[in-house]
Formats: sequence, C-alpha cells, structure tokens
Amino acid sequence: MPARRPDLPSLAAGLAVIVIALLMLLDERGSIELSFAVFAPVACAAIGAVLLAAGLSRR
Amino acid sequence: METNQPRKLFRSHQDRVIGGVAGGLGRYFDLDPILFRIGFVALAFLGGAGILLYLAGLLLIPNEEGTSGQPAPAANRSVLAVIGIVVLLIVAWPILIGGGVFVAAVLVPLSVLAIAGVLVWWLVSGEGPSGEPRDIAVRAAFGIGVLVLSAALGVGGAIAAAAGGSTAVAVILIVAGLALVGGAFLKPVRWLILPALLLAVSAGGVSAAGVSTDGGVGDRYYRPASASDLRDRYELGVGELEIDLRDVDLPPGDTPLEVDLGVGDLRMTVPKDVCVASKVDIGAGQSIVLGRRNEGVDVKYEEHPDAPPSASRLLLDVEVGLGSLQVRDTDEAFFDDHGFDGRDERDPDDNAACRGGTRAG
Repeated sequence: MPARRPDLPSLAAGLAVIVIALLMLLDERGSIELSFAVFAPVACAAIGAVLLAAGLSRR
Repeated sequence: METNQPRKLFRSHQDRVIGGVAGGLGRYFDLDPILFRIGFVALAFLGGAGILLYLAGLLLIPNEEGTSGQPAPAANRSVLAVIGIVVLLIVAWPILIGGGVFVAAVLVPLSVLAIAGVLVWWLVSGEGPSGEPRDIAVRAAFGIGVLVLSAALGVGGAIAAAAGGSTAVAVILIVAGLALVGGAFLKPVRWLILPALLLAVSAGGVSAAGVSTDGGVGDRYYRPASASDLRDRYELGVGELEIDLRDVDLPPGDTPLEVDLGVGDLRMTVPKDVCVASKVDIGAGQSIVLGRRNEGVDVKYEEHPDAPPSASRLLLDVEVGLGSLQVRDTDEAFFDDHGFDGRDERDPDDNAACRGGTRAG
C-alpha cells in the first residue's frame, strides 16, 4: 500500500506555529531577547511557507 | 474541417491564478493572459475598478469545467445578467456621475473582503473559486466568517500576551501546532491553519514589542509639584501618558526616572535647566528626545552626557512597546497642538544644561 502524502499546508502551518510558540517561551524565560528584528522575518517566513505549501499542494 | 461556431468565453481551468478570468480572456482574444492580469492589477489602483471588474468576470463568465457545451439555464442567465448590469453600473458610477468616495469607502473594502474570503476558502479547502456564482458566494461568506473569527482570536491572544499570559498562549499554540502536524499525516484540519497563524503572529508580535498592560488602560497626566512628589517610576498599559516636570526643582546630581508604557503616546516636559540623560527602548514607533528623532522598529537610543557636579541631571529610562515618546523642555515650542512642529534636527543649544548652561528659550 503506498504511503499517504502528508497535507503540506497543515504540516507547514503546524511547524511554523510551533517555532513561533517556542520563541515566545524562550523569550518569556529570558533565554533570548525576542525583538521585532528577529520576529518580523520569522513571521513573514512562516506565512510565506504556508502559502507556498498551499500552492504546491494544488499541483 | 472548419467550424463556424462562435468562440465562447469561459474562465480557464488550466491557466488560472485566482479564478481563471484573465486566462479565459487571453484565450478568447488570443492574447497573453499576463496582459489582462497586469490590467486588472493596474485598474485595482484606480479606485478599485480592477477588483470590481475581476469580480464581475468571476460572476458572469462561466467556468470551463461545468459547461460541457451546454448553455446555462435561462433563469441562471437572467440572474447573471442582472448581477452583471449592477456591477458594471457600480464600476461606471464614479466615471459617469461621480461618487468615487462611495466606491473607495464602501465598495473597495467590500470587494477586498470578498476576495479575502475566497482566498481563505482556498487555503482551508484547497478548492479555487470554481462552480456556480452561488457556490462562490457561499464559499466567500464561509471564508469571511473564518477570517473574522480568526481575527478576533488574534486580538484576544494579543491582549492575553500583553496581560502576562504569553506562556499560556505559547502552550495553546504548541497544542494547535501539534494538532496540525498530526492532522497532516492522519486527517488534515485545515480550518485550524488561519486561527493558529493569526494567534501566533499577533501574540508573538506583542511579545517582541514588549507590550504590557501593567499600569492599566486610559489617559494619565502627572504634574508633580516638587521633587519629593516625583515618583521613581511611572507606568501605563495602554493610552496616553503625560509627565510634566516643569514645577519640579531637581536637586544637584542624578535623579533616576523610569517610565514604562505598553501601547500609546508618552509625552514628557523637563525643566530647561536640567541635563537630560536618556535610555530609550521602543518596540515599534518613534522617539523624539530634545529634538533628536529616532523611529522604526526596535528603536534603542541612549545618551549619557556628563554634567557639572553642581548641575541637576535627569536619568530617563523609558520603555515603550508600540507608540511614541516625545521629550521636550519647558518654554520651547518643540510641539504644537497637533504634535511635533517639524524640527527634526537636534538644536546645538539642546541639553545645554549638561555643559553648565541652560538651553536657550
């Protein structure tokens, strides 16, 4: 039986959300200093990854 | 064998970015569809006509998939014709009889909302805007509903993060993220993508800006009458905070003053015979300290001029999450009633008290 392909948009969104949540936790703990200079590219990359995955999944 | 059947205009199934309107027009007129796409985008900046025209095409031009050479039922054609006439009248309205403000203020936002709804539906279901106009309208409405709920969740998450609940929001996000990843392999839960992303971006943005609602919400005005009335720290969560020190006769030496504002505007007036040392940290916004302007994201500004031993020096330590900071001295018209009066560059006399004199009035 062929393995089922994962749903790319869900996978990308899930990983992106987890990464952002981990950044928030590390910032809250004081391990990193989360600033806009760090967060803005991460947020853009997360949204871009989801849109890219959604586009690829249509092919 | 050559047929004399007239060419029919359909929305292209093969060559589509959104709904196949440009692709269909390109094939019908035997032109590159990119020309129509550029036209739609260019017209979108001219009062939003491009958006409305595209929506009209989406509603009026039948989809290539569902045609099979059969004409649409007469009732459907009548409805489509009425919709088309209404849309064309709306587009032509500002050109024929004016009313551009109505188009710009009402119709363009509605059109953008409808397209956003279709895009959300596309993200959630993976289906483009194909099928009958009624189906497209239903999907757009569903998409708008998801968008509104997600936005509400995002705002709620941002408020929770600002109120000190960043850890709880992060835990919720991890659970949602794991559900999405697990669902990707078992049973996709795409409806969760937009709410989770918006929650993550809004709450993460608030954390990155260092926004806190500690200190409450509202407008505060403080004007201490003497140095003994001056607090070590002033704090406000959201609102306008004004600290007027014109009546304060600071003692010689250093006087520390810490100010923390989550979101809003902070205005400070300092005596002109006081040397001001400042340490400013703004998540996103603008800082104008005695004429020196800094703006953008992660604005960090620090200046510690030395002062003669007999001089009074105010050590400002200011944190603003999102908003602006304005520090002026007394008797100087740095600002008018509507904000900064336009003097961007630092005046050579500013902060002259740090050099043993007083600033020019």
